[in-house]
Amino acid sequence: MKTLLIKTHELWLEILMAGFMSRGENRIKLYDFSDIIFRHFTWLEHHMIAIGEPYDYDRDIIPVKVDRLSIILNNINRRISELDLQIMACPDKNLVQRISSDLKYISSTLSTIKEESVTAFDTSRVLNGIALSKEATDALTLFLFEESYKEYELIMIYNYLQAHSEDAFLNRIFQIMIDESKFHLRSFGQMMAEMGILGVPRTIHKSLYQIEDVRQFLRDGIEEEIAAKEMCKELSDAVAKDSKELAAFFDFINFQEDYHISLMTDALVHYEGLENHG
Amino acid sequence: MTEVDATLIAHMSDPKNYGTIEEPDAMGIGENPENGEKVIITLRVVVQEETPVIEDIKFQAIGCMTTVVAGSIITEEAKGIDFPRAEQLITATLGMLENIPPEEAACSEMVALSLQASMDSYREKQKDPNFGTITYKIENSCVVKEGK
Repeated sequence: MKTLLIKTHELWLEILMAGFMSRGENRIKLYDFSDIIFRHFTWLEHHMIAIGEPYDYDRDIIPVKVDRLSIILNNINRRISELDLQIMACPDKNLVQRISSDLKYISSTLSTIKEESVTAFDTSRVLNGIALSKEATDALTLFLFEESYKEYELIMIYNYLQAHSEDAFLNRIFQIMIDESKFHLRSFGQMMAEMGILGVPRTIHKSLYQIEDVRQFLRDGIEEEIAAKEMCKELSDAVAKDSKELAAFFDFINFQEDYHISLMTDALVHYEGLENHG
Repeated sequence: MTEVDATLIAHMSDPKNYGTIEEPDAMGIGENPENGEKVIITLRVVVQEETPVIEDIKFQAIGCMTTVVAGSIITEEAKGIDFPRAEQLITATLGMLENIPPEEAACSEMVALSLQASMDSYREKQKDPNFGTITYKIENSCVVKEGK
């Protein structure tokens, strides 16, 4: 089961990366498929928790550097074939049937996707034809590498917290945070691909998601969100003279952080209430 | 601000030696006591002519991208060299810290100290196989003080 979880984790990310690489109508289809595989990941995780099997979010390196979309789609299909065989070892036959059925459909659809040339690794560092200064381009590059990892980290942390919580109030907040981080990761990943600097986020150390003190995590997280707001503001200022559209995007991300801070504060108050009554 | 070039992008998009060695010969940690950021290094060691040599090395970072880049560069240089040369590498790295911005100095120091901790853990394990993991704490602050 542990291998199955790892391989599903890798498949989710590989399809997501393929979505970033695609510049046409294929992109939405790939995003939808990556979301389906992420759901498989959570089902398998919940199954492992239910049967008391230990697990973590470790995984292998995922090679994604290709110059044509068909290459990564073939790799994905190879991975799906392996998964479809491995899933048979899972004792929950209903789960096997659900996942296997999805995998077969995804695999057959991927085979029909139109070829595209991939420029996501050409290091052009030009976003949507906007001519940014060298300083603004460097700032944007550093921001995207830092924050794309951070969003992936947050998806995994909140997913782990949600998997180990039966509190409906908290799980609603965790799910919103997962969805928000998925949106941010998608936005940043697309920008990285457009700039030719796409990379798979590095693996996460266990101590980051196997959290011992959730209240402290939330307090630190609120501080980080405040720092992220400042980074977005600086970036918005840096790009404003060259692109109003890009500046507006970073202002939008900046203001979204207020909502995250508000949700994390709600979760913190809820945790404190539970402790006071527990 | 850090100037971005092709080498830096290569280390950020595909950090060298990132991860953990399964059942390593030794592990060491460099930690920033200010914010809990840390670098964890695992080693596979072979002994050649009675001198331990770093056959394989991997690192994981709980920290920023600057730490990842420092880990990628330093572990790449440490791979394949013996302990005395690795200690020269650590001394050279620590000696350069005064000339770089404080936040970058803290990241490089954390990697250098985790490498030292992993080698010291290895030496201790030779004396006591049950010996755990050494953690060294950095002296540089990655918080930029006001007015600087």
